[in-house]
Amino acid sequence: MFTRLRYPRIVLLALALGAGSIDYAAEPAPSEQAQMAVIASNLDSLQKIDDGSLREIYLKRVFLNTDGRPYIPVNLPATHPLRDAFLSAVLKMNPPQMQIYWDRRYFQGVSPPYVLGSQRAVVRFVAATPGAIGYVQRCQVTPNVHVILLVSLAGVAPADTLEKCPNSAMP
Amino acid sequence: MNRIACRLHRLTPPALLLALGVVLFRPAIAAGDDSPWETDPYRLGQGLYFPQQGLRVGGYADLHYYDLDDRPRSASIDDLSLIVTKDFGSRWKLLSETDLSEAAIITGRGVSTSDATLEVERLYVDYYASSAATFRFGKFLTPVGQWNLIHADPLVWTVTRPLSTAAAFATSANGAMMYGTRTLAQDDLDYTLYVDDTQAIGFAKDADSAYGSYGRAGAINPLTNEFDRAAGGQTHYHWHDDQLTIGGSFVAYELRDPRKSYRLGGLDFDWTGSDVELSGEGVYRTANAPQTPSEYGGYLQAVISLPNQLFLVGRYEHFRNSTPNVTDNISTVGLNYRGVAGLVFRIERTHASHEYSGLPSGWFASVAVLF
Repeated sequence: MFTRLRYPRIVLLALALGAGSIDYAAEPAPSEQAQMAVIASNLDSLQKIDDGSLREIYLKRVFLNTDGRPYIPVNLPATHPLRDAFLSAVLKMNPPQMQIYWDRRYFQGVSPPYVLGSQRAVVRFVAATPGAIGYVQRCQVTPNVHVILLVSLAGVAPADTLEKCPNSAMP
Repeated sequence: MNRIACRLHRLTPPALLLALGVVLFRPAIAAGDDSPWETDPYRLGQGLYFPQQGLRVGGYADLHYYDLDDRPRSASIDDLSLIVTKDFGSRWKLLSETDLSEAAIITGRGVSTSDATLEVERLYVDYYASSAATFRFGKFLTPVGQWNLIHADPLVWTVTRPLSTAAAFATSANGAMMYGTRTLAQDDLDYTLYVDDTQAIGFAKDADSAYGSYGRAGAINPLTNEFDRAAGGQTHYHWHDDQLTIGGSFVAYELRDPRKSYRLGGLDFDWTGSDVELSGEGVYRTANAPQTPSEYGGYLQAVISLPNQLFLVGRYEHFRNSTPNVTDNISTVGLNYRGVAGLVFRIERTHASHEYSGLPSGWFASVAVLF
């Protein structure tokens, strides 16, 4: 809610400049800019997702897919810069706003997504868990998961705040 | 007689839940360091969470201070609430909320616990049937407006509660509910349908105070509401990533006392701007009985963000009461301090044009914690 306004102008400026733009894709497309990959297990039939559905899953408004399988969204730790970027670009909220949202949902008996300690842990967990959805830097994606959505990190996660990619100068 | 003793029979379900919680607590501790989970460190407002067990234990508490016009000052611990949620597999979830209300009233003469009441506020199971529908069975909050669904002290902006959010209906129901969310043109539509049969369901009955209680002054209007039967629905539409939410509610019901039939319709909205939040709710209730006037009213509330996590709150409410048959205009101005997550400090001044309708004039303050 309203406490979104702690950094509103920064977020609005970033969005106005095209930050956090979303590209639907089953396969990552070549890009010069850092990207966040939303991933699912290769054991899962989910091949792509739109940002609206992803938002509903992470806000725990939708719990099951059309086949009746539970979604298991996972988060990075609250201090991770990629989580802030995900909040801003996909959930369209900032941390204080998210806090109020989850305070209310918690009172209504709905818990926020599970938290895993690192991008590597997210990839490992998602790979082994049908129904799980996570987000990592695109360069962290391994062959046992597949990308269901790509999100640009330009403007929402400065490169120097992200983890260095293996065998790459670019985060 | 001590009301705790009177209501011991209500303790059985929460006591069982607590015992269940203790049993489930042990494997959480014994899970060891090789767990793949790294939970968020505990912080106020999120409860104690054990993801491998699907268990969360938390609650809220508040301390209120009342300096009401022409009445002695007092303070009270109005709520001490324990909330437990437990997942059973991927489709079932249980929630219980047990509340010790008016746990202590503090005056210049000492502390009284004689009004303490232990109640099961909510006790239900949810079954996730499909992506579009979840079923709920048990005792749940009545879906009318938004305030009643998030009425916990740390989650709302004022110590006093608008009459429109409680006076005209029972705030909880016993029965079954179906609810879900659908996406329409990139926006979300929530829907809820429910039936209540409190008359037939013997457990967790209680008559909700329609007007609230204010420390030593007690309830200004002692009327309580309890459904005998009810059926209703609610819908909310969220525009622009929740910046604007508009909702409608309808419920037809029979109250236990006075035993009459009613129909109630309601509208609510919530708009969040860059530094302002506006919200409001309105209800209109008609009785299916001669000589019983309609009851209606609504409020508009504005919250303005100030520096240093301070918030200025203003609210105006107009409410036409049926018992007593008076019209009340209530204005409230207050401040919130929300510098620590889960902790809220509030102070406000309320002026009611006709306080015997249910809400007194005076100063109200509170500290509330979501834990």
